[in-house]
Amino acid sequence: MKSINLKENQFIQFHQKISFKFDGVKYFGYKGDTIASALLRNNINLVGRSFKYHRPRGIYTCGIEEPNALVQIISEYSEPNTRATIKKIYEGMEIESQNRWPSLENDFGRINNLFSPIFTAGFYYKTFMGPHKKFWKNLYEPLIRRAAGLGKPPKDFKGISNHIHHNVDVTIIGGGLNGLLAAKSFINSNYDVLLIDFEEQLGGIINNSNKISLIDNKEPKVWLKETIQEIEDSKNIKILKNTLVTTYNYINHLVAIEDRFVGSKPIEGKVNSTLHKIRTGHTILCNGHIERFLSFQNNDLPGIMLSSSFEKYMCRYGLAPSKEPVIFSNNSNSNSLVYSLIKAGLKPKAYIDSRSGEGIEPNLFDLIRKNDVPLYTNSQIKGAFGNKKIEKILVEDSSGALNEIKCDCLCLSGGINPDVHLFTQSKGLLDWDEKDLTYKPSKPFQPTITLGSASGQFNFDNLNSDVNEKLKTFKVKKLDVKLELNTNTKYHIEKLWEVSPQKKSLWAKSFIDLQNDVTTKDIRQAITEGFDRIEHLKRYTTNSMGTDQGKISSINALGIVSDLLDKKVNEVGTTIYRPPYAPLSFSAIAGRNCYEFYDPERKSPIHSWHLKNGAIFEDVGQWKRPWYFQINKDESMHDAVQRESKNVRENAGILDGSTLGKIEIKGEDALEFMNLIYTNSFTKMKQGSARYALMLGEDGMVKDDGIICKISDQHFIATTTTGGAATVLGCMEEYAQTEWPNLKVFMNSITEQYATFNISGPKTREIMKKAFPNINFSNEEFPFMTFQFHEFNGIPIRILRASFTGELGYEIYIPSNSAPKIWDNIQSVGKEFGLAPYGTEAMHLLRAEKGYIIVGQDTDGSITPIDLGLSWMIGKSKKDFLGKRSLTRSDTIRKDRKQLVGIIPSNKADKLEEGQHIILDKEIKSPVPMLGHITSCYYSSTLGHDFALAVIKNGHSMIGTKAYASTSSMITTGVDIVKPVFYDEDNKRLVS
Amino acid sequence: MLIINCPYCGPRDQSEFSNGGEAHVKRPDGSKEIGDREWGEYVFIRANPKGLFYERWVHTHGCRKWFNCVRDTSTDEILVTYKLDEKKPNLNDFKSVVKTPSGEPEVGSGNFTVEK
Ligand SMILES: [Zn+2]
Repeated sequence: MKSINLKENQFIQFHQKISFKFDGVKYFGYKGDTIASALLRNNINLVGRSFKYHRPRGIYTCGIEEPNALVQIISEYSEPNTRATIKKIYEGMEIESQNRWPSLENDFGRINNLFSPIFTAGFYYKTFMGPHKKFWKNLYEPLIRRAAGLGKPPKDFKGISNHIHHNVDVTIIGGGLNGLLAAKSFINSNYDVLLIDFEEQLGGIINNSNKISLIDNKEPKVWLKETIQEIEDSKNIKILKNTLVTTYNYINHLVAIEDRFVGSKPIEGKVNSTLHKIRTGHTILCNGHIERFLSFQNNDLPGIMLSSSFEKYMCRYGLAPSKEPVIFSNNSNSNSLVYSLIKAGLKPKAYIDSRSGEGIEPNLFDLIRKNDVPLYTNSQIKGAFGNKKIEKILVEDSSGALNEIKCDCLCLSGGINPDVHLFTQSKGLLDWDEKDLTYKPSKPFQPTITLGSASGQFNFDNLNSDVNEKLKTFKVKKLDVKLELNTNTKYHIEKLWEVSPQKKSLWAKSFIDLQNDVTTKDIRQAITEGFDRIEHLKRYTTNSMGTDQGKISSINALGIVSDLLDKKVNEVGTTIYRPPYAPLSFSAIAGRNCYEFYDPERKSPIHSWHLKNGAIFEDVGQWKRPWYFQINKDESMHDAVQRESKNVRENAGILDGSTLGKIEIKGEDALEFMNLIYTNSFTKMKQGSARYALMLGEDGMVKDDGIICKISDQHFIATTTTGGAATVLGCMEEYAQTEWPNLKVFMNSITEQYATFNISGPKTREIMKKAFPNINFSNEEFPFMTFQFHEFNGIPIRILRASFTGELGYEIYIPSNSAPKIWDNIQSVGKEFGLAPYGTEAMHLLRAEKGYIIVGQDTDGSITPIDLGLSWMIGKSKKDFLGKRSLTRSDTIRKDRKQLVGIIPSNKADKLEEGQHIILDKEIKSPVPMLGHITSCYYSSTLGHDFALAVIKNGHSMIGTKAYASTSSMITTGVDIVKPVFYDEDNKRLVS
Repeated sequence: MLIINCPYCGPRDQSEFSNGGEAHVKRPDGSKEIGDREWGEYVFIRANPKGLFYERWVHTHGCRKWFNCVRDTSTDEILVTYKLDEKKPNLNDFKSVVKTPSGEPEVGSGNFTVEK
């Protein structure tokens, strides 16, 4: 195919040369060229190999509908499957063709084409069935994956995208003639309007064809420039260019992707695409139409392209891909290509029209006759032939005679379809138009308006009245635009979907889906095999399932199927067009929610100290908490945890408890509110005292626990579990607003405002005395479960005497910014007493020895306080609290509920595991009645053996009996069911 | 995906809000004797209609206020929002035009966007 440069225009200037590489060879194009137009300029049309048969493929279109020309952009993180017809080139761009090996010209996979008679519809389903299941995974699938497919996935993806939200009254999609007219109507109105176009320049058909000769008696391009200026000057209209609307969701929610680096290389670290999330009152679809192709033998040869695409290359890119293309059409849409060619001083090699002579427009006849173009009416192309490019075609003329025409380019037009993808995504309904042979939008489901060819108006005669009528509800300016055309005005088409080949051959192929290598024969076979419902047929043949969604071919498939089934097309129906309209990269969807922003990490004010002191962290919600501290690299986790816990029992340990949720509750009715939220009663509690409290759901199940400090009846501070803080605050706010709005109470999270240190162990009092010499820590002055406010070196602190380890303990609450200083001070004064930090694992072990539960570990949302043996925490005299009534439901007072017990192995040397089932019989004989399971399990160096907490049916009355713990190897371990307290049952260490 | 009109803040993106289930479900007074059944229904049973529905929402990433609304569960459209202490609107004032969001026939695969 020999191309020729035409005149310069406002988009392409011949002095602005750009160099780029395609498959390693350097070429030149011009600024404004797409990869496709630049390659065509260099007379390159073989750009890839097809999906299944590895057939040579060229550039078929000039836009987003492109099925063939998909390339890999090496210079942009090796981005695969990029449409060469829309991606603009830039200096130094590196491009590679896809799905070929070792090279595009000599592709090994083309051997598939020889075997093609067996690669028919359903081939994979039928063939790779045996002889053994493993064959698929280990042999067939890897082989098929290597042979099939398009581009290679990028090795490394660094693209950055951001998201922008819009909330507007009207969104106009498409800035072509109708989109501009719609926008013009809204100039300086009271509506917030968004005008979105996929191209860099607004204008659509005005830029892409020579259909229109004058608008308002002006050159179309002059009118265009003036109109765009008016729209840009209007304060209420925002224009988004290079932006493709990919998705039309419910309630007028649109998603559009903007390319921020059109025609230049994305800069690393800069946002290269923006995802626009648009909420709009009304959507006006002016997204135009798509031309269809036609099926005949070898309709996939490089050198074949759509006729309006050829014209677009001429008008927009100043390039004629061929000097003398043959045109094959069944409709009037290709008239303007004939006009454009002749206007450019070129001439079609032949004009072939499947319509009868009467159907063809008289002005086209005149044009063709005047210029001596060979004309074939009532004729069809039986096939195209050539080696890796089109060389000749076979035309069957009206007399039935066969004519061979040599050519290097063939332009096809099989009719046009309104671009209904977005309209059907919005759930609008389509109607089949028997005259225009296409589906057109009929009933919108949302406030959606379609204008111009997007609505199926393929003629221009009702231009003004259509816009004025459809925009009536907005009460905007009425339009009166005068349009004059170069070619015919009435769209006319005669039915032709497929031309059957001249010779019957197993190797003859008429494609219906170029991207997925689906032939019309596959469609026939699918129907023969019973896949005659269109959705089944689509999946069986993979027709229109490529990244192009069969934009130029899916209606043809419906036409062929309807003929085969002898049904009307609207009886066959259409498959659903699903979002996105064109592929959308994952990075665009992710936006900034990736890497460190995906799920933010929360760190305590002491985090840097932990890092320096060998902490190994665990994630608790979003928090990073020290799990254990390694004193040297060789220390195992087990050793570290045993060392830390032993040190707490013998000396003293310090835990960073800053991640605990903290909520401050204030207000006239704070006491009453707290009594309603928690199970405990706080009425008789003294000021300055604290209480371990439970929070239930309305179903009576334990939801959270914590310590409540009562500062006064109007002021409380509650702690929550690390993971439950947000839920507890949310629950408090919900009940304060929805159920008890009469209570005057306010609550606020103070989690991040205060750091918390938990110091515990027998030597804690000595350490505290030394660290805070101005405070009296004697048992009389500072008893268990009380708290005091103090000032230390000018820092306000609160100290609570409480413990989660069973040892004497204090919790110190310090404003976060002063916390590291005090932490360091405690470390240095504690040294002589053997104070050492401990992590969450040692904390879990210590609390389990003491039988303290962890909500979410020992409970699972189906455990009541009674099941836990915590009935003493229920304020029975209280009239009401969350979940109170549920505690007396027949189901919650059942005797055989799962209840918390302790478990120790009968043979102390035996090991236990979390999650083990507790069963009654030594022998495992299925079915095995399961009593319950182990919820927490540790080795205790204090006890000298494993121990566990478990929830088992009727557990409280089973204490003192024996049972078995099952293992995965079907052996059982004998266990003793005991009280869930393993250490200091009388709390002597706690309160002394 | 919706714009929700918070009665306190005005129209905001849906991502700022959380759903709180059926609205106008009164919590029984805990100080009175209630049967297992009545209490159980309050705790566990909620309506799940296709069409108009009184619903609670909370402006989680905003003012954190709870409010009520009428939502069409078949289209996800929120027709009106109102404060907790405001009278609930009459459902007859709204027309539930469509039965299903996709306008598909009542029976069938739902894959036909073409009217039959
Ligand atoms: Zn709000």
